[in-house]
Amino acid sequence: MSDIPTPFEGLVDDGHPVWDRFIRVFHWALVVSVVMALASGFLLDASWIRLHLVSGSLAVALVVARIVWGFTGPTYARFSQFIPTLRQISDHLKAGADHARHIGHNPLGALMVVALLALIIALGVTGIAALGSGLKTGPLAASLTASQGPLWTELHELAGFILLGLIVLHVGGVIVESRRSRECLACSMVTGRKEERNGDLVAPPRPTHLVLAILLISGLVIGAVVTINGLSQCPLTLPPVGPMAQVYGDVCAACHMAYHPSTRPAASWELMMGGLGEHFGEDASLPEETRIEVAAWLTEHAAATTDSKPALLWSDLRESTPVALPDTEAWKRLHTSVDEASFRQRNIYSRSNCIACHADAETGWFSPFQISIPKEPKQ
Amino acid sequence: MKHTLILLTALMAQPVLAQDTSPQALIEQYSAAAGAAASPENGQALFMATHSGGKPDTPSCTTCHSADPTKGGQARTGKPIDPLSPTANPERFTDTKFVEKWFGRNCNSVLGRDCSAQEKADIIAWLVSL
Repeated sequence: MSDIPTPFEGLVDDGHPVWDRFIRVFHWALVVSVVMALASGFLLDASWIRLHLVSGSLAVALVVARIVWGFTGPTYARFSQFIPTLRQISDHLKAGADHARHIGHNPLGALMVVALLALIIALGVTGIAALGSGLKTGPLAASLTASQGPLWTELHELAGFILLGLIVLHVGGVIVESRRSRECLACSMVTGRKEERNGDLVAPPRPTHLVLAILLISGLVIGAVVTINGLSQCPLTLPPVGPMAQVYGDVCAACHMAYHPSTRPAASWELMMGGLGEHFGEDASLPEETRIEVAAWLTEHAAATTDSKPALLWSDLRESTPVALPDTEAWKRLHTSVDEASFRQRNIYSRSNCIACHADAETGWFSPFQISIPKEPKQ
Repeated sequence: MKHTLILLTALMAQPVLAQDTSPQALIEQYSAAAGAAASPENGQALFMATHSGGKPDTPSCTTCHSADPTKGGQARTGKPIDPLSPTANPERFTDTKFVEKWFGRNCNSVLGRDCSAQEKADIIAWLVSL
């Protein structure tokens, strides 16, 4: 498939253009966006999800543009120039350290380019699926269920680890090849030029279809935005129930935030509503009529009736006494990044005061987009 | 939509008070039932003391209401509590059912028993005097 490169014969030239301006901007913009996406995904907590989505989307958009450029760009940007045949790969490997110098990507480098582009697309797909299932947001929110969230999240993470590995190999390959051929390959990705030497493998020139590339890329971007927006508007099945019944707000939310009914299974609500005399360390007794009314509303909209991540997290609470959500393993796992002192702040005060940091806690969503840990108020 | 929800929640969090009584009427009522005059000093002592008969997380009225009832308190859940003293909060002690509900719950939480009519009269008398 590959255009056959031919050995260069002529004068040594240190100004042969190899990487065009698009390729160079693409490469370094991809470095920045991938580093931000990896850092926000692996190192930072859920409140950084905006940065993760923006950097991840940027990386995918860059890759899509690069794929278009691979069919429309100049000589060394073309997939047809560098995607190697099996024969070329085996010849390259057999030659070992004595292989000929490629002006463009060598066969192994080319395989890495293809792997990185494919992996970033896979990260985009699994990321959108994880967002749609686990967090019920974005274009796939209506078509995936919250129960698929862990699977997509794990696939997304796995792809992230593979990307980390490939980046290490990529940088390693650049260092090894730079030493072997006594040049700075990373510098070429800045200047766009490479020294041309006798015996180099040079590809026959191909024209750039700039207008076609711009049309295709803008078409794809507009198409993607319209599709994503459209799909994101689709109504969800089994969202958390809307604003609480008046009586629930009056009697329960008098002492604490109005915990959403979907954060517990019906059995746990029944247990709790049957033992209000000992309600997490206080007497919260209610007149029997009110107690029955509130218990009925809570069990009617309990975890099993809702498709959301919080409903799933606590859907199998089976303690014989109702456990406070902050005492559950799931809660602790999700709050490891919050230090002890924050919970003591006057404007948070209690681990069970979800709404101090989760603005949407009473809706039952607990979206990571709604997290903001308040600052300690001045006395 | 979000703001409407917040407003709605805020409105619903406010108890609808019947306004069927007054702090003075309650003091008289409880004193009559106890058969003795209300003592603000005893009310203050009861309110400020640390008790051991109730639930371990709420040893005193001040646990949630703070030691200054003219200012707000904070429930163990983080939820703010409006000032208890009618001087600072005229809505206090104007709804018999509301007063009885919270004396019932909170005396049990703090003392492990119901408050006597005398104790209720004393506490309200102290809160009014602030």
